[in-house]
Amino acid sequence: MRNFKEVTPGKKSLKKCYVAAMMWFMGRAIQASAAVDKSVRKEFVDMPDEFTFALSVMPKGPHMIIAKDQRGFVRYSGWDPEGKKIDLYMKIKNIEAAVLIFTFQESTVVATARDRLVVDGEVAHACAIVRILDVVEVYLLPKIIAKLAVKRYPDWSFRRKYLGRVLIYIRCIFGF
Amino acid sequence: MRTLMYLPEHYEFFCPVKINSGNKALEQLPFELDALNARKPLVIVGKDGSGRGLVDVIIDAFKDSNVTIGIFEGVPSAPDLKLIRDLFNIYRGRGHDAIIAIGGGPAADTAKALNIAVSGKPEDIEGCAGDDHVKEPLKPLIIVPTLAGTGYEVSKYAFFDGKNYASHFLMPNLVVIDPRMTIPEDTVTTIATALIALTHAVETYTGSGKNPLADAYAYTAIQLIMENLANVIGDQQDGNGRLSLANAHAMAGCAFSNVALGVAHNLGKVMGDMCHVPPGLCMGMLLPRVLEKQMSEGGYHISDLLLPLAGFDAYANMVEDLRARRAVDILHDLLKGISVANGGAISRLWKDAQLSEDTLQNIAQIAVGNGAIFDMEGCMKILREAKEGK
Amino acid sequence: MDMPGYYEFCCRVKIISGHNALEKIPGTLAQLNAGRPMIVTDKGVVSAGLIDIVIDAISSSVNIAAIADDVPPDSDLRIVNSLSRLYREKGCDSLIAVGGGSVMDTAKGINIIVSEKADDLMPFSGANALKRALRPLIAIPTTAGTGSEVTVVAVIKDHERHLKMAFVSNFLMPDASIVDSRMTLTLPPVITAATGMDALSHAVEAYTCLAKNPLSDAHALAAIRLIRDNLIKVTVNPGDKKGRLGMASAATLAGIAFGNSMVGMVHTLGHSVGSVCGVPHGACMAILLPYGLEYNMHKSGHLTAELLLPMAGALVYAATPKAERAQTVIALIRRMNQDLYEATGGRHARFFKEALGRDGKEMVPKEKLTAISEAALKDGSIYYNPEDLDYNDFLMVMEAAWEGRPLDTGLIKKG
Repeated sequence: MRNFKEVTPGKKSLKKCYVAAMMWFMGRAIQASAAVDKSVRKEFVDMPDEFTFALSVMPKGPHMIIAKDQRGFVRYSGWDPEGKKIDLYMKIKNIEAAVLIFTFQESTVVATARDRLVVDGEVAHACAIVRILDVVEVYLLPKIIAKLAVKRYPDWSFRRKYLGRVLIYIRCIFGF
Repeated sequence: MRTLMYLPEHYEFFCPVKINSGNKALEQLPFELDALNARKPLVIVGKDGSGRGLVDVIIDAFKDSNVTIGIFEGVPSAPDLKLIRDLFNIYRGRGHDAIIAIGGGPAADTAKALNIAVSGKPEDIEGCAGDDHVKEPLKPLIIVPTLAGTGYEVSKYAFFDGKNYASHFLMPNLVVIDPRMTIPEDTVTTIATALIALTHAVETYTGSGKNPLADAYAYTAIQLIMENLANVIGDQQDGNGRLSLANAHAMAGCAFSNVALGVAHNLGKVMGDMCHVPPGLCMGMLLPRVLEKQMSEGGYHISDLLLPLAGFDAYANMVEDLRARRAVDILHDLLKGISVANGGAISRLWKDAQLSEDTLQNIAQIAVGNGAIFDMEGCMKILREAKEGK
Repeated sequence: MDMPGYYEFCCRVKIISGHNALEKIPGTLAQLNAGRPMIVTDKGVVSAGLIDIVIDAISSSVNIAAIADDVPPDSDLRIVNSLSRLYREKGCDSLIAVGGGSVMDTAKGINIIVSEKADDLMPFSGANALKRALRPLIAIPTTAGTGSEVTVVAVIKDHERHLKMAFVSNFLMPDASIVDSRMTLTLPPVITAATGMDALSHAVEAYTCLAKNPLSDAHALAAIRLIRDNLIKVTVNPGDKKGRLGMASAATLAGIAFGNSMVGMVHTLGHSVGSVCGVPHGACMAILLPYGLEYNMHKSGHLTAELLLPMAGALVYAATPKAERAQTVIALIRRMNQDLYEATGGRHARFFKEALGRDGKEMVPKEKLTAISEAALKDGSIYYNPEDLDYNDFLMVMEAAWEGRPLDTGLIKKG
């Protein structure tokens, strides 16, 4: 019919790449924070063994998977959820919402209030994950940006903030 | 002894419409379609949606979603059954399972008629004309309004092929108000559509069918229009203002779908059709005069109207007995301001409309025939006052 | 008014309200192509005579296929399963839920199982797991109230596996909610007070927390005004039909408001006190509400100030300087608690120390405050609270709410 056309809109490759890169870095930062920071370590200790959490963008990624192994070590487990048993999913509804979050236009708190995310799994664990993400953001970001990303910027000692930041960055870059 | 909030002894309210509004609202569509168990929407675009980049925005919003969409552009201003049959064939033939209408007016009416067809068969449409002949939920329907929408697209009403339709089941499951779609319109359109929404919201809020649930929608619509209309007329670039007005239209559509149509609506619609003036302008002009008459008769809830019209502080600082008067005065002032806006385009419109006494008689007769609450004499008084600018 | 950068609003429940609203049920069922409902309720509702009233109102035109009254105070998976079997056995085609939050959740759970013809609820847990409409469900709330008759959420506990399953879907919403004054006429003063304050806390938190939007605000303001008009009245005079209808409408409006805008720390702590010490939900809300507003004052005080208009009326609002309005609202809520305490002969607790169980024993011993604060960390409603709270913050608020002294706002860590 003259006025009719069928369209399968393409991909947003650039945005997906950006979000994938940010997630990769964040994943490694969470792993690093679990080793370096007491409060992050405690949050993970309270979680069940082999607990696996995924932050995903609908419909098909990118993903960030964090897993606690049998020995209690927290590992960034890559970007492929295939074959893994995920206990807690935090799904961002679409790539644009993910871009808003990872360019700090919407903090996790604002994004949640704006229905950009869906949580599948135990809410108690989701609360812990949000607290962990907040801590990681304070480590990774300069105060002026972190204040936009978290609800209440914490009052940490110089040692905790700056030494921790250096250690986490080193661990992120070298992947341990 | 303080006045208690008005609560009717019996009321019913139903609004099946979900409202999504704001930044990147369109990108939620794949998720929302999935929630409605739909995977392949047919997008219907009317004249106010075509050729302004809006279709590209829709296509962009579906990127990275694995959803294929069908797009039909060019719904004419008077769609007919032949169009519905063609669209029906596309919907069924291409395996669509939802309809998304871009813009108001004919596109929305077509979408509603098409929805009756695809939920049964095209022959069902005619039989559904009138009140409450659509008895069951239809297939998923989503409306994406532009600023040229009036709220009718969200309401239970449709006008198709010369007939009126009214049923809650015609209302969309979802209305998506996205700033990329509420691009500026010309001043007259902006004012006319806002005045339709304002009239519907005010008549819901003050009329006999008033109830707390319809009021919530009406109150918010009135507040949004009062806070934003003047700004948007003065500065077309006020994106937030335009978004707010579009919200008001949708909310007014939800509100007035739950009460009987008011006098200003009835008279204004007839006048608009007869004199070829946008009905919104007619309704807006008649509204304060209708309220004046209702104030003198009593039994209408006009004093509370001051709250959404003027805000908490102005409301609280006004003595209770004077609130209704102040509310109506605010509406008179609003109209005066509007007439001189845009270099007086609207006053010129009225001059050109040539409202003779005969025309007014005709309007009143038709409105009374349609079931307007006032009688001939009451209607004529309102029409004359409006014409003379009292 | 601030238009949020993005918001969503939805309430697809048909509301039928009045002194004879129950009589509309047969017509409503017929419109939904149903005629053999199963009534789901609990023993408390039955013994209050409410089921008889419902049956009287509808049995001449509707074939009530089954009546199930063994819903426990806390939703339970076993009951959901057994009642689903009963539904199937009796050839039912719809559900009528008569009761409070647990009955509503149970009915929603049953509806999932019977509509999806499933054996297990688990696959449907989480968000958006349901893909199509369920069997007709009519909700008749008997408190004013939890608002669960207008929400998209159901929470069902699996006591065997110690799991709390949450279901979130637009398809869970009842088709209609019947708000009839007869359903709350016999509500005893203590429960009237507690459920009324529950509704107030829903409206206030929806208005002041982070997911607020203009529509939910309008619902919240109307709810608050109706509660101010009616709550004390119906606590003192339970037979006031108009007052009961007002409170029932308020609970519906508040339910719609918080269903769309979520709640905050008052619910976070309230849920925890409920789960650790078993204090009824509404009682927790009443005590904690002023504390939530105090704690969040530096972030949401300007919003709290606006609530003075529906809470106290135009004269007081106009006479109170802007800078004092928020504090006045908090004082008014404490005043309400005091009035309800007096109206219930001291049974409506104003602070946790005086919350007594049926056995006359203290329900919240001071030693439990630490456990309550720990539990609060696990509650998702904290996302929406304007200010952050860690363990120490929760403990500080609980200590003040236990003793009944105002919060020392100087001690709050402001973000």
